Amino acid sequence: MIGRIWAIALNTFREAARIRVLYGIVVLVVGANLLSIVLGEMAHEETRVARDVGLTGMSLFGALTAIFLGVFLLYTEVQRRTIHAIVSKPIERWEFVVGKYLGMALVLTVLVVLFGLAMTLVNAVQGTPVTGNVVQAIVLAWFEVLTVAAIAIFFSSFSTPFMSGIFALAMWVIGRVTPDVEAAARTASPWIKTLTRITLEIVPDLHLFAVSGRSIDGAHVSVHGDFVSWGYVGLAGLHGLGWIIGLLALSALLFHRRDFV
Amino acid sequence: MADLAIDVRDLTKTYRTPFARRKVEALRGVTFQVEKGHIFGFVGPNGAGKTTTIRTLMGLIRPTGGSATILGKQLPSRAARFQVGFLPEAPYFYDYLTVAELCDLAGRLFGIPAAVRKKRADELIERVGLSRARGQALKKYSKGMLQRAGLAQALMNDPELVVLDEPMSGLDPIGRKEVRDLILSLRDQGKTVFFSTHILSDVEAITDRVAIIVKGELREHGTPGELVSRTVLGTDVMIRIAEAADVTALTDAGDRVRRKGDALSLTLPANADIDAWIAKAHAAGGKIVQVTPRHETLEDLFLRKVEDAKASPSPGGDT
Repeated sequence: MIGRIWAIALNTFREAARIRVLYGIVVLVVGANLLSIVLGEMAHEETRVARDVGLTGMSLFGALTAIFLGVFLLYTEVQRRTIHAIVSKPIERWEFVVGKYLGMALVLTVLVVLFGLAMTLVNAVQGTPVTGNVVQAIVLAWFEVLTVAAIAIFFSSFSTPFMSGIFALAMWVIGRVTPDVEAAARTASPWIKTLTRITLEIVPDLHLFAVSGRSIDGAHVSVHGDFVSWGYVGLAGLHGLGWIIGLLALSALLFHRRDFV
Repeated sequence: MADLAIDVRDLTKTYRTPFARRKVEALRGVTFQVEKGHIFGFVGPNGAGKTTTIRTLMGLIRPTGGSATILGKQLPSRAARFQVGFLPEAPYFYDYLTVAELCDLAGRLFGIPAAVRKKRADELIERVGLSRARGQALKKYSKGMLQRAGLAQALMNDPELVVLDEPMSGLDPIGRKEVRDLILSLRDQGKTVFFSTHILSDVEAITDRVAIIVKGELREHGTPGELVSRTVLGTDVMIRIAEAADVTALTDAGDRVRRKGDALSLTLPANADIDAWIAKAHAAGGKIVQVTPRHETLEDLFLRKVEDAKASPSPGGDT
């Protein structure tokens, strides 16, 4: 089982590594990091700007890449019929879905590492060491990206890339602003409150992975000052893992029922 | 009952069109058996249901009704897939891989150890004639080369049953002969080969049994000999007779009349009195060169079955 999943994961990694758009995204993020040196000097907040730009770029472009890979890689297997020569072999369909996800996760991990290295390099140029807070923020961004990839794969298992992309993007945005939506709904009519509550229940709490600048249990947290504990990072990771497992299980179930004509 | 490699019973597949929800019957109670060690040709025009049947056997499509076993295992069966090699129709593979990498991926999915994978891939690449192109990515391959690469990956697990969907498609005459030879050599090794095609000469040349499917229904099933020897279509005759001779009395009863110099050839109908015609030819001064009963060929049978199906009400199938 592990061997088959790994075979699909490695092949997916190889496939994704050939997508030129990914190299464009890396160049864009590295460029933004370099630009943050100039912006930081203009604002006389070199370190703050560099970290904010680096972490935002990691989170934003990481999530967008996850959506892009998630909605295309599974769909193109079916569309181009490459899947015919694969699922006719003794591999279970859920193993194929998990393998595809792991391959994507591998690509996204490499991207997050590259984005992190770019930020570290800029910090090093500025003479600022990488703090534990920054490492925690990078790990949280990584969890977020992996969760978004599972969301995209889930939609891709039954929908076209365009629709999957829209759904996944919508879930990412809503998941990011859950506390704000909840706060806004407090003063709304009862049925809007109910609708909001139901909507937020079926959306992963992605805001848990982007906490810098927010309040947690009444305390303000910031990557530039007092940040979350490793315990929080671990719990957020478990939250993401739960969603990833659930979404992959649903994807596998939907994929299992499909005819490949 | 003989040992069966494939046993298909009353297989049906019905699709619904996306918006109109119209029912499309791709397979309508298909039943056939393939004995172990045989080469079985599955013949039908485009859209007859060949590929749907094969994809159902390979677990790509879930049947609406009926049942099927492969090597005694009820489908769907992962255990059965361990013993089957499959070449899809117009195969699409990951075009960034080389043929060696494609074989390696196939081998990994069968759980074959690395050393065995490498050895078997090398042997198969040589066998399908891709040694010189083994370093090239598949995207640079011609259609025929892709077909060969597909055959190589299908044989990685040394399968007991080989299922080939249109294996001769896209191949030139030499390539087709090589695939035919490969299929025959697989049978010589004791393997069962099930392949679909619409190239009837290939079927007649190498199959032990044939099934003809039209509009999702099996129309004929048997050995090529059984299928084509049932009907005598007519008798081809050839005589030599003086160019100036009036042959109207001889040609009235026949068709496909050809006269060139002193050679006259025609086909007499199946119910014609051949002895009386020969006597008439002698009386006219003719000399008999050839009298050959013309049996129905597989192509004749195939075309007749397609025409019969056209005349019958359409189930609306198109796969």
